[in-house]
Amino acid sequence: MVNPGLHREVIKILLGSFKNVSLSAIVGLDLGDEIELIYSIRADGALLHIETSVPKSNPKIESICDLIPGADFHEREVFDLLGVDFLGHPSLKRLILPEDWPEKLFPLRKDADLTSVKNMPVSPASLNNEIKTNERSIKILLGPQHPAMIEPERFVLTVDGETVVDVKPRIGYVHRGIEKAAEGRTYLQNIYLVERVCGICNACHTTCFCQAVEALLGVSVPKKALYLRTIILELNRIHSHMLLLGHAGLLIGYETLFHYLWRDRESIMELMEILTGNRVITSFITIGGVRRDIKEDVIREMKNKLRSLTERVAFYRAILEDDPTFKARTRNIGFLGREEAVRFCVVGPVARASGVKMDVRKDEPYAAYDEIPFKVIVRSEGDSWARFMVRLDEVDESINIISYALDNLPSGAYRVRVPRIVPAGEAISRVEAPRGELFYYVKSNGSSYPERVKIRTPTFANILSFIHLTRGCNIADIPVIFSSLDPCFSCTDR
Amino acid sequence: MTLIDGILRWAIKRSPWVLHFNSGACNACDIEVVALLTPKYDFERFGIILKPSPRHADVLLVTGAVTRQCASRLKLIYEQMPNPKSVIAVGACACSGGVFRGCYNVLEGIDRIIPVDMYVPGCPPKPEAIIDGILKLLSLKQTEVSDKRTPLNKKP
Repeated sequence: MVNPGLHREVIKILLGSFKNVSLSAIVGLDLGDEIELIYSIRADGALLHIETSVPKSNPKIESICDLIPGADFHEREVFDLLGVDFLGHPSLKRLILPEDWPEKLFPLRKDADLTSVKNMPVSPASLNNEIKTNERSIKILLGPQHPAMIEPERFVLTVDGETVVDVKPRIGYVHRGIEKAAEGRTYLQNIYLVERVCGICNACHTTCFCQAVEALLGVSVPKKALYLRTIILELNRIHSHMLLLGHAGLLIGYETLFHYLWRDRESIMELMEILTGNRVITSFITIGGVRRDIKEDVIREMKNKLRSLTERVAFYRAILEDDPTFKARTRNIGFLGREEAVRFCVVGPVARASGVKMDVRKDEPYAAYDEIPFKVIVRSEGDSWARFMVRLDEVDESINIISYALDNLPSGAYRVRVPRIVPAGEAISRVEAPRGELFYYVKSNGSSYPERVKIRTPTFANILSFIHLTRGCNIADIPVIFSSLDPCFSCTDR
Repeated sequence: MTLIDGILRWAIKRSPWVLHFNSGACNACDIEVVALLTPKYDFERFGIILKPSPRHADVLLVTGAVTRQCASRLKLIYEQMPNPKSVIAVGACACSGGVFRGCYNVLEGIDRIIPVDMYVPGCPPKPEAIIDGILKLLSLKQTEVSDKRTPLNKKP
């Protein structure tokens, strides 16, 4: 807990004494008279928190963007949703909320009256508001509906001939207001709400939320449930990575790769279905354990399918390493150096492909990761190709983790009953999602409804580096760079 | 029924071009829509192709609960599609808002913005269900199509 203003001094000391200092999240809390800000800083694998508060009548605090450039979007989000003014921020503008959102209405403040917005008519789409040209450069609008992207988002590209000069992302098309909605639902209902933050890495979201609530409750989860959680989390990782590699194939014009990878991905979807009953949104994890036990025949089927998948992964590695088409489109494209990766606070495979060894599974083991041996895949190339290769190697590691977990599955209960009222307190939980470190902050006020749920998704941390990577690149390389970061806008916007 | 009508009815059943628009979905429905393209489900065997442009599309396949930002874009895309056109709402969110009902930035279902011809519920619906929805819609549309078409001999 420090006074406002001193937080910069603390960060300066941290930057001086640790090698890798990056921002994990800024949590904003409305405490009635004042707004509390919690800066969560990663320093060489450890997570440190700096708490400070500003008065609600005059919410102003100094920006830390000059110390940690990756704080840019984090501060803009707090500005947008809680109305805290960050002095010295390079461009403190609206980030997530729609264009027609009323000024001075901040949805995450407790006294915000949101019923008026609900009945407000939707203003028509403005199409040409951002196209301005000068002599050399022109602006190109990409999205919100665009063939190369499944999700709605908009990029304004400033191009000079074929070279991209600047990129301005406009996110928020998928912003549903989940953090606010979570405050009005019980903990049990919230499992199914946070599961739908992102349909691709849904098990990571539920695990992360349940871990935070379990920490508040003080329950210990049975060992078998921890192993089953590990299995579903790794299945999730395999399916997410294969989905991304296939989609990257589609974007670079290598459609065969897309069809091959998605055909093999179907075997993972089938495994999730026989394990949990659902293909995509699994609803497998609950507070106190998991919702189903694993059966003998499921274990057998899983081992068979994973064995044949290992052979396929070897085949894909040969393609990614040797295929001239794939290499020509990805080698030395979108280079992100080690120093920049730390400065922009990127997480997950993007950071690991730039040589930053960071993995929540090793740094702060959860589920059964402290008992299962596995390698953290790190590469030093830092280009798009390395980011794809890290993901492919992680698929292999995940198969090993699942095989080990199936062989060493403990016996006993798979869930414990937990009370519905959660004692007052606050908890932070982290999970290594397929796209990187996922961060949850849950504050309880002693009832069955949470006081505040903050979700910082890995894609939100990575999106800032996209602007940096695309400056100076060719227009045709944008889809490759874009997909190599594995963007997911339903995560980013929440 | 004229010859033109016959050709049109045959074409609308056998080569519907689908435009997929995500109006604020969590990606679960979207990856199931993309899974339709892949070898296991392969909906191109029905002549269905995913098309990126609204000007070429016959069927608009919408996922997601319609966020405030997407609503006007969704309307615009619908207006850009040529007649005869139809709309399928895929997933519980697109049908009624689903789990996001009551969220401040969500308009709860695409039928508040544009007319919907077919609802495919589920969270997310299985790929088989989405294919079934598209094909059922097309059989329905086959009978209606001659009414909505501008007659060829009529000068605009």
